[in-house]
Amino acid sequence: MTHRQVFGQVFTVESAIAGAVFVAVLGLLLYSVVRRRAAAGATPSQRAELPGPEKFYVGVLIAVAAFLVAWTAWQNHRETHEHAAGAPVVVDVTAYQWCWAFTYPGDGGGSPSAPPPTTPPTAPQSPCLAGHYPTLVVPTGRTVRVRITSADVIHSLWVPELRYKMDAFPHHVNTFTLTVDRQGRWIGRCAEFCGERHYAMHFWFKAVSPRQYAAWAHSHSGTGQAGASA
Amino acid sequence: MTSVASPEPAAGRREVRPGGWLAWLGATDHKRIGLLTLGTSLVLLFLMGVLALLMRSQLAQPDEHVFDPHTYNQLFTIHGSGMIYLVLTPFAIGLGVYLVPLQIGAPAIALPRTTLLAYWLYAVGAVVMLSGFATTGGAHASGWFSYPPLADSEYEPGAGSDLWIAGVVMSAVGMILMGWAVLWTALRKRPDGMTMLRMPVFTWSMVATCLMVVGAFPSLLAAMALLAVGRGDPSVFASNVWNIGYQHLFWFYGHPVVYVMFFPYLGAVSEVLAVFSGRRFFGYKGTVLSLLAFAGLSMSVWGHHMFTTGQAADDYYSLMSIVLLIPAGVEYFGMLGTILSGRLRLRTPMLFALAFIPQFLIGGLTGIMVGTPVVDYHVTDSYFVVAHLHYVLFAGSAFGLFAAVYFWFPKATGMMLDERLGKLHFWLAVAGANLTFLPMFGLGYLGMPRRVSTYSPFDGFGRLNLLASIGAGILALSMAVFAVNIIGTLNRRALHGSEHQAPDDPWEGHTLEWATSSPPPSLNFTPEHPLPPIGSFAPLLDLREQAGPAVPGQAEGPA
Amino acid sequence: MRDHAAYWVVAGWGAWNALLLAVLGIYGENGLVFWLWGGVVALLEVAALAVLASARRGSEEQTAYQAPVAGTAGALPAAVAVGLVAFGFAYGMWLLAVAVPLFGVAAALRSRPVRADRED
Repeated sequence: MTHRQVFGQVFTVESAIAGAVFVAVLGLLLYSVVRRRAAAGATPSQRAELPGPEKFYVGVLIAVAAFLVAWTAWQNHRETHEHAAGAPVVVDVTAYQWCWAFTYPGDGGGSPSAPPPTTPPTAPQSPCLAGHYPTLVVPTGRTVRVRITSADVIHSLWVPELRYKMDAFPHHVNTFTLTVDRQGRWIGRCAEFCGERHYAMHFWFKAVSPRQYAAWAHSHSGTGQAGASA
Repeated sequence: MTSVASPEPAAGRREVRPGGWLAWLGATDHKRIGLLTLGTSLVLLFLMGVLALLMRSQLAQPDEHVFDPHTYNQLFTIHGSGMIYLVLTPFAIGLGVYLVPLQIGAPAIALPRTTLLAYWLYAVGAVVMLSGFATTGGAHASGWFSYPPLADSEYEPGAGSDLWIAGVVMSAVGMILMGWAVLWTALRKRPDGMTMLRMPVFTWSMVATCLMVVGAFPSLLAAMALLAVGRGDPSVFASNVWNIGYQHLFWFYGHPVVYVMFFPYLGAVSEVLAVFSGRRFFGYKGTVLSLLAFAGLSMSVWGHHMFTTGQAADDYYSLMSIVLLIPAGVEYFGMLGTILSGRLRLRTPMLFALAFIPQFLIGGLTGIMVGTPVVDYHVTDSYFVVAHLHYVLFAGSAFGLFAAVYFWFPKATGMMLDERLGKLHFWLAVAGANLTFLPMFGLGYLGMPRRVSTYSPFDGFGRLNLLASIGAGILALSMAVFAVNIIGTLNRRALHGSEHQAPDDPWEGHTLEWATSSPPPSLNFTPEHPLPPIGSFAPLLDLREQAGPAVPGQAEGPA
Repeated sequence: MRDHAAYWVVAGWGAWNALLLAVLGIYGENGLVFWLWGGVVALLEVAALAVLASARRGSEEQTAYQAPVAGTAGALPAAVAVGLVAFGFAYGMWLLAVAVPLFGVAAALRSRPVRADRED
């Protein structure tokens, strides 16, 4: 769950800094309203500026900015470049109005040459319409490479539990990797407005043990079908 | 020293001013054009707010059927489009049209006929955009950023979308023309003594704003042209180049526009903070420099709206987005320094200005968070971003808008708004804004996407949505109080004729607009109301200080 | 520098944009972006030169003004004509038959001030 861990660290640090800044500013504001009121007998200062403290303050701002830039860039690269051991499992995702198609072109061993299919499965109705959200199955503890495209308009694949999303563009393939460290089943959503049933375009994201995954992959050998559930 | 810059009418030619409402339609007096713009955008603010109230009624509980998805999609598209293209941007530039000539001591705006044409393009453009609701397919429903291919004629075939594009183009052209006129006025129409570094903070905020308008708004026209071409020939968007290209063209405009919708309100807040602290704005030079730096940086960060496209230079946009905190921090240094060393009078404009400080900060700090890709990968396109943008644009900019209205209303109309209603509006707005938008951070974090017409009872989003909808109801109340105040006050003026109730300077102001009558005469400064000497960016404060210690509470207008 | 401060503000802001664009060059981005932002930088520098030319022609700080035209009746018809063209996309291009004459009316009214009924 690298994405989730990295997100957790960055979000916590940034929230802490933000919280501290907010409390400080609010404190100064409340002080002003209470102690600098005309009714409290304050007299206004005529000093136009304080260049010394201002320069020091700008220095502090630069230091904070520099830290955030460097640290978040490093975290971003950690998140997007870390790999677990072993060859990646490949999943092809095709988003379409208004459901998802997941296909599994074969296990690991380098990138399969065939790009993900751009036409959705020719089911009479998309499963999502009937409330049967398709399931994206992955094994725990292995790198999973997701290749995502769209059959029509721009969509976005979001699994909130993973703290990650990636857009699905037509005529273009986005690729990202993820590693899941525990079993479970979590909801996934479409996160790019895509028309009338954007609100109902959900899927399940399910992580199973490598053994269970192998068994599942065997029984769904070759291309999986949308709506497959383990 | 300055010479009196107000012109004497040429001998034998009397100063004429057109009368009647017909004359307003053709007015070249910048104050009339300004008021037309401000008034139109205020009316649209209420209308777009009603759309939001309808949306919140649909989302208050899971699985509601108040509106079907297609209707809901029109509501959020026009709410966003209206607020950005037709309300906050025109109000911001309209403030500049009204105030900049006065604040620099000029009798008129540069390019008055162009400015008037700009207003009409905006107003007619608004009608064109909103008339989409009257077409059979309904109004445009692809969101205010309107990404292709979804916004293409293949997926959204109705005339409402064509009208939306035309409306956006017309109002954007209007804003470019208006922004250029305001910029040219500040740069080239200053009288003797009004050097660049004696222009008030608000005027400098308009200079920075108009530079962004000139630099970034043409890109919106390019994006709309691309969309229009694509609607004629959808095969254009069968190639990814133009899908991602549209996003670059759109967001190159789409980020600076949010600063266009921020700087003038920040400038207004700064003026109000200074006047009601009884001292000149603190840290003027740093503020001017940071406004210009901030505006330039704003041109560089647009890609932070595209982190999840997988096709943008994430590191660069993240770097620049974080660097924004430096000039933003300098702005806060000035605002806080002003109130910390001032003598505060807590009248209605000041209340809104003070609330702006922490509320905008929430938006700004969460902006840094969404400007870092790691966080953005989770929260973009969710209610977290909806919360962020409403904190900066409503709890921030709109509060600055309210501060500006209460502050300058007496100058523009000769009437004081009711102070008690103003305070009621304020407290309802603070309660409503925070109750509406704070829960949305939680909703986004928990996984609620944006632009959804409903959600399931099993999602766990019900409680926070209900809170947000209750908050929206409180906001509606606050806006009703605001409307009653404005309409009631204008009614009083209509009933009691030109019996002035507001003096020239009801607040002990610092800048030149307070040296003339309320409302000002057509050429702003006359022999009866001459330009005072201009020695700094707070000339009236200078005069008062030279005259000796001020008696506290003097020259306050009636409550 | 102080003499042409207005020019320096615009030219300097354009240069600041150019610097930020140059940094983007290090990171790399879609080619379209460089044309777009580069074009904007060029536009800003042209605007700066316009400011400079105007400053050189007249004094930096204006003291003499022409009283502005009392009003202009052409702006509203022009905008309505544009609006009619827009509606043409929804309701048919026959609307051009109304819009084009309206443009003509607007042009004719452009320099005529609105009739003055009363004086201030």
